[in-house]
Parts: sequence; C-alpha cells; structure tokens
Amino acid sequence: MKRHHITAIVLLVVVAAISVYTGGIFLSLREPDVIKPGEGVTEVRKLSDYFAPLKGTRGDTDVYVLKGEQEGGKVLVLGGTHANEPSGYLTAVVLVEQAKVTAGELIVIPRANNSAFTHNDSQEGAPLYVHFTNAAGEERQFRYGSRASNVIDQWPDPDVYEHASSGQQLSGSETRNLNRGYPGRADGNLTEQMCYAITEMIKKEDIGLTFDLHEASPEYPVINATVAHERSMDIAAMGSFDLDMMGIAMSLEPSPVNLRGLTHRELGDFTDTYPLLMETANASQGRLRGATNEKLALDGKDKYYVSAEALGMLYVPYDENGHSIEERVGRHLQGVLSYTTAYNDLYGEVVTIENVPTYDVMLAAKLGDYLN
Amino acid sequence: MTIVYLVILAAVLALVIWNLFTEEKLQNQLTAMMVIIPLVLRLLMIK
Repeated sequence: MKRHHITAIVLLVVVAAISVYTGGIFLSLREPDVIKPGEGVTEVRKLSDYFAPLKGTRGDTDVYVLKGEQEGGKVLVLGGTHANEPSGYLTAVVLVEQAKVTAGELIVIPRANNSAFTHNDSQEGAPLYVHFTNAAGEERQFRYGSRASNVIDQWPDPDVYEHASSGQQLSGSETRNLNRGYPGRADGNLTEQMCYAITEMIKKEDIGLTFDLHEASPEYPVINATVAHERSMDIAAMGSFDLDMMGIAMSLEPSPVNLRGLTHRELGDFTDTYPLLMETANASQGRLRGATNEKLALDGKDKYYVSAEALGMLYVPYDENGHSIEERVGRHLQGVLSYTTAYNDLYGEVVTIENVPTYDVMLAAKLGDYLN
Repeated sequence: MTIVYLVILAAVLALVIWNLFTEEKLQNQLTAMMVIIPLVLRLLMIK
C-alpha cells in the first residue's frame, strides 16, 4: 500500500473521531433545558395540542398553564421567540418556576421557537449555555441559541421571503424568524406553522393580553421599550406610567402598520388579544461588542459599548456596570406585572399573579435565587 | 428537494474522499480532511 493511502486511512479515522465528538455536541443542543415548574403550574400542554402537525417536530414546545382558583382573564407570555435573547427566555422560566396565580390564568411558553434553541448562529462565537446557581447550590443550565429556526428543520431559505398575508418582502433568511411569520399559516413552512399554532392557541383560549419578550443590541433604537398595537396602547400607556413612577425608564413605541409578521402587529390585527412586545438591552447580540462569552451575556459589561456611549452611538445608557441579566429579567417581570395590572383595571378581566420578584427585588438578588 | 440536496452532497463527499486517497501531498490531504467533516455532519442532518 502506498504511503499516501495509509495517510488517507489515518486521516479518515481522525475524521470519524472528530465527527463523532462534534456531532455529539451538536445533538446535545437538541435536548431541552430542564425547567422545574413551581407549585403555581396547574397543567403542562404542548403547542401541538393547538395544531397537530407540529407533533413530533422540533417546532413543538411546552406550554405551561398557571390557573387561579378564581375565574378571570387570560394572559400569555412568550419567551424564547429569539433564542439568542436570554432575558426573554429566562423571564418566562422564572414565571414558570415561581409564579402563583390566584385569579384568572397565566399561560407561559418559555421556548416559543424551540427549533432556534437547537443551534447557534454561525460566526457569532456565542456561548452555548448560560449557567446559574440556585439557592440550594445546584447549577442550572440554559441554552443560548439562535435568532432563527434551525436550517436542519427548515430548508431551503428562499432568496426573498414573502410574508404570506401581506406580501411584504424581506431577506430570505427571515423565513426562519418566528417574529416575521405571524399570523402564520397551516400549510406554511415550520416557522409559519409555529406562528399559526400560537395564533390558534390565542384564539381558542381567548387570551386577553399577550406579552412577547425580547432583547436588542444597545445600538438599536427600540431598546428598553414596549411596542404596542394601537388597540393595546391604553394598556401600554397606563403600565408605562406605573413603571416610570418606579424609576424604570420605558419608552413607548407604536407598532408600525407597515412592518408585518411581528406579534405586536399581526396578533393585534388577526386576534382579539392585546399584544405587547418588550425589549431589554443585550450586549452579546450587538455589533460593537468585544469578546463574546457567557460573562457578556450575563453581565453586559463591555468597554467598547462604554466607548460607544461616550460617542453618542447608543440608545440606552451604558457604563462600566453594564446591564446585568438580573436587571433585564427584572424589567421584563415588572413589565408583565405592571401591564397586567393596567389590563385588569381597564378591562375588568382580572389576572392576579403573585410570588414574582419585582424589578427592585431582582436588582438586589441573583437570578439563581429564583430558580428551583 | 432535500433528497436532491443530499444526493448532491453525498456525491461531493465521495469526490473529496477520492481526492483524499489520490493526493500525495500531506497538506492537501489535511485540507480534504477538514472539508469532509462538515459534509459528513450535514449528510447525517446533524449540523
């Protein structure tokens, strides 16, 4: 046998070993994180309960129901629409693990785009996981995923993505962005089917108030903000006033009527729910960031963003303290509480959520303190 | 369409493996090795 044939065989063995090792890592990303429902959770459903074709796919996801003893309204919280925006996902996890509902019903989907949690965006260098230590000293691990559905689950991307109900055209990769696919369609691609299932759930459950929790880069204009459909604006205005009284700066943005496919537009147009989308500041998804790692995702401390702030390039105050995950989750939790109170006051369909840490409490604590 | 894509992928993979065995220069064999890894992971629909 010639020497280069021997070399080729050796290298093929190396290929096999590397493929097995890396393949194992990629396959492990498909394992859903452990979420430990608290006493407030009365039922766990699947999104496929509302649209059966999702069953057995990575578009299916857990739906946690917290039902109070007293009758009342219904509130939905969507976390993980974008799996690279950790405060949205983790806020939903805290609600599942801590919240107790005494009146009405709170429905929480921590991983709205479950497929997005099974991979990471190429060439971003993002961490695979973020970790916390709970009060019992146990380590909890949560995925840091991708903005869009996994290409293994949905392929190919068109050159141009055309939003089905409006004809709006966007870059082809947006076909895998859950927040560009609403209201969805039953015969669409996987992402559109996930949107369809969530829309169907909102209609079937007659959900009165819907939150979609997000993060954005500090240089993005819509940051530390709530985006409201015109029907939701009275709830948003009342809730924002409440937040302002607590010293929480929250800008209020109207949902653009010409930007289609997003929750704050389509759920308001196609269902009776009042949709609100909230954004917090996430340096780890920004374009100006330095080293990308778990630390940045969790504490937001970045000297380049401090410099950018000094140059007036940002839309959120930024100093050496960064924006911690506790601050960001605290903003989302307080937003859910304040806007739900406004909804209760305005429309009388009461949803009472208790045992949830407020913004001030989260600032003084560690997120792990509120994980089971 | 996915079947067509995977057939093309398998053909490319076969050609690269063939190249791995016909190349006499080690650096070219190492290059072929690096190309094979992502092709295998995609053929198996892992990544």
